[in-house]
Amino acid sequence: MFLTRSEYDRGVNTFSPEGRIFQVEYAIEAIKLGSTVIGICTSEGVVLVVEKRITSPLMEPSTIEKIAEVDKHIGVACSGLTADSKTLIDRARLESQNHWFTYNEKMSVESVSQAVSNLAIKFGDSDDDEGAMSRPFGVALLFAGCDEKGPQLYHMDPSGTYVQYDAKAIGSGSEGAQQTLVEMYNKTMTLKEATKTSLTILKQVMEEKLNSTNVEVAVVTPTARFHMFSKEEVEEAIKDVA
Amino acid sequence: MSSSALVPQVPSGGFNFSNYQRNVSLCASGFPAPKTTKTGTTIVGCIFGSREDIGVCLGADTRATSGNIVADKNCEKIHRIAERIYCCGAGTAADTEFTTKKIESQLELLKLNLGREVPVVVANRLIKQLLFRHQGHISAALVLGGVDNNGAHIYCIYPHGSTDRLPYATMGSGSLAAMSVFEGGWKDNMTEAEATKLVRDAIAAGITNDLGSGSNVDINIIRKNLPKPVIMRNMEIIGVKGERMGDYTYPKGTTKVLKTEVIPIKVEDEVVERMDTDQD
Amino acid sequence: MALSMMESNNRLIYNDAGQGPVQHQFSPYTDNGGSIVAIGGPGFAIIASDTRLTSGFAIYTREQGKLHSLTNAAVLGASGCWCDVLSLTRLIQARMKLYKHEHQKDMSAAALAQMLSTMLYGRRFFPYYVSNVIAGLDEEGNGVVYSYDPVGHCDKNMYHAGGSSGALLQPLLDSQIGLKNMAIKPTAPLTVEKALQITKDVFTSAAERDIKCGDGVIIRIITKDGIREETFKLRFD
Repeated sequence: MFLTRSEYDRGVNTFSPEGRIFQVEYAIEAIKLGSTVIGICTSEGVVLVVEKRITSPLMEPSTIEKIAEVDKHIGVACSGLTADSKTLIDRARLESQNHWFTYNEKMSVESVSQAVSNLAIKFGDSDDDEGAMSRPFGVALLFAGCDEKGPQLYHMDPSGTYVQYDAKAIGSGSEGAQQTLVEMYNKTMTLKEATKTSLTILKQVMEEKLNSTNVEVAVVTPTARFHMFSKEEVEEAIKDVA
Repeated sequence: MSSSALVPQVPSGGFNFSNYQRNVSLCASGFPAPKTTKTGTTIVGCIFGSREDIGVCLGADTRATSGNIVADKNCEKIHRIAERIYCCGAGTAADTEFTTKKIESQLELLKLNLGREVPVVVANRLIKQLLFRHQGHISAALVLGGVDNNGAHIYCIYPHGSTDRLPYATMGSGSLAAMSVFEGGWKDNMTEAEATKLVRDAIAAGITNDLGSGSNVDINIIRKNLPKPVIMRNMEIIGVKGERMGDYTYPKGTTKVLKTEVIPIKVEDEVVERMDTDQD
Repeated sequence: MALSMMESNNRLIYNDAGQGPVQHQFSPYTDNGGSIVAIGGPGFAIIASDTRLTSGFAIYTREQGKLHSLTNAAVLGASGCWCDVLSLTRLIQARMKLYKHEHQKDMSAAALAQMLSTMLYGRRFFPYYVSNVIAGLDEEGNGVVYSYDPVGHCDKNMYHAGGSSGALLQPLLDSQIGLKNMAIKPTAPLTVEKALQITKDVFTSAAERDIKCGDGVIIRIITKDGIREETFKLRFD
């Protein structure tokens, strides 16, 4: 039977005649529905800012966790299906701990991205691999970390592709935000400036006004390593954002 | 003669087995018996010459071991049995020494009683009977060699008491290395020089290729037409002692003095006692 | 202690007739001897092994070094059951290649040390019968020595003696390198020349009393300029 074009998007293991795997592309589309996440890498460290969508006043904002600590020296921010991110973050933490256990050294940011990417592409119809997903993950991740190569920012999408960035935006406001990042980013910016820049851009793409409950900020520096901003620190950071 | 608690009675001879059961139970509860010194060893003997010009050449290395450790680098393994009978010993050092010594004294008594030189066969028979009586518990593997009126003889004696009369023999952990030299080089009617060279090579093979053997070559030559044997102790040093490059003496005062106490010897009384030497 | 497994073989057992049948057991292990000495100092590390391979009272070869250069900054010395040494070192090399491909860098001496420890502990109940010593340079370029027991315990030291002559040589190193129990101590830092001389002398001494130690010594000197090799003769009886 001849398969119509639209039928190629049924299976995750079927290429379309144009050489595309639609389910992966749809998963990438799913990210665009997620909240906006911005990461900027400077010579002093990496900053991650995320928008938290408080859809109801009855919601407890602190339970929405979009930034997580992978290891002392690596943090990760996610956009998309948050539930899927938990599996990937668990893997990142496991790989990082396993590396420390076997080699008594911290795992590099690139190696963590690689390890998580290995899980991200392990999807398929078969029942052989217990624990593997039947569909691609619906999240994009920004890994921020400091290792022997210094501060680094990596982006990974549902296809498992991971690329290093100086600055990257993902989620619903990513298109506009990325454009602004290109204009505003420069190699010499300080971490403080980067935090301000990222919050300014986030403000532009957010519908609501910035406050300490609807944004999360984390920085990773070579000395203090992963640090999640407290409510007070967030307020301090957004105070002078125009 | 009576015994007291302080002066134990002179043992009546033979082995004392009174601690046997105790040692078995100690061993079973995890206290293994201490290691005996073994003479790892390469020992050899061979006959050379013919008729009236016959003789034997005995050889041995000089290493004694305790497990993997060299206990003695220059021990003597060729024991005297009689004026013209010598015996190389391998196995537990104490067993080879006491067995040969015991037989030496028995042969001396026999010689005095008979009034003539005791033949080698007798030495062989006495040793094998002693070893057989102890069912292999006396770990002595011997190469007995000597000359008498009947000619020159080499006997190979195993710990359980079996013996072989052979033209050439090797024993000990280096016996295979030594035997390969004998099998390759031994021939009938060798000269003394040829035999000495062969024995030296056999022992050298044991010293270099067997970990239980080492250090130097000892050789004894006993000839029928010579009243005394030629004893060549350390005729060649194969394992040369290594030379250290550094100086390992410590300057005076290196060891800390923790406490000093002087106890002078006080002479309280002086007494001169005469010893009664006519004891019965 | 992990080494106690071989003890039953050496135990003197009073086994007389009538005390039941004699049991013979297969042992998957054999002791092929070999001794390792490693010394670390400021800016260098040296590691040496003898070159004799044995089985019981026999010599397999007089020219088998027991050093394995792993990286430009780390050399492993391994002796004991030679077949275990061979398979362990192969596995280490494979793991190092995997690491290099995964992380795009060479393994540091510290990472190697930890990896070896985990590999050994992975065989906790069927251990590699190997005495391991790693000598290498740390991040600052100074010498370090890591020593192991067969099941993965790792000690970081400045000097270590392992293998068949380990018990003979360690006290000597404690005195000469560790300068233990001395009221008057030399104050000058340890030089390569001094460490080299002690290493050679220590092997000369071991060859006098350990029947498994002899024939020759192979020495590797690790500095920031790379690894240099020296050989040295020992008595061969």
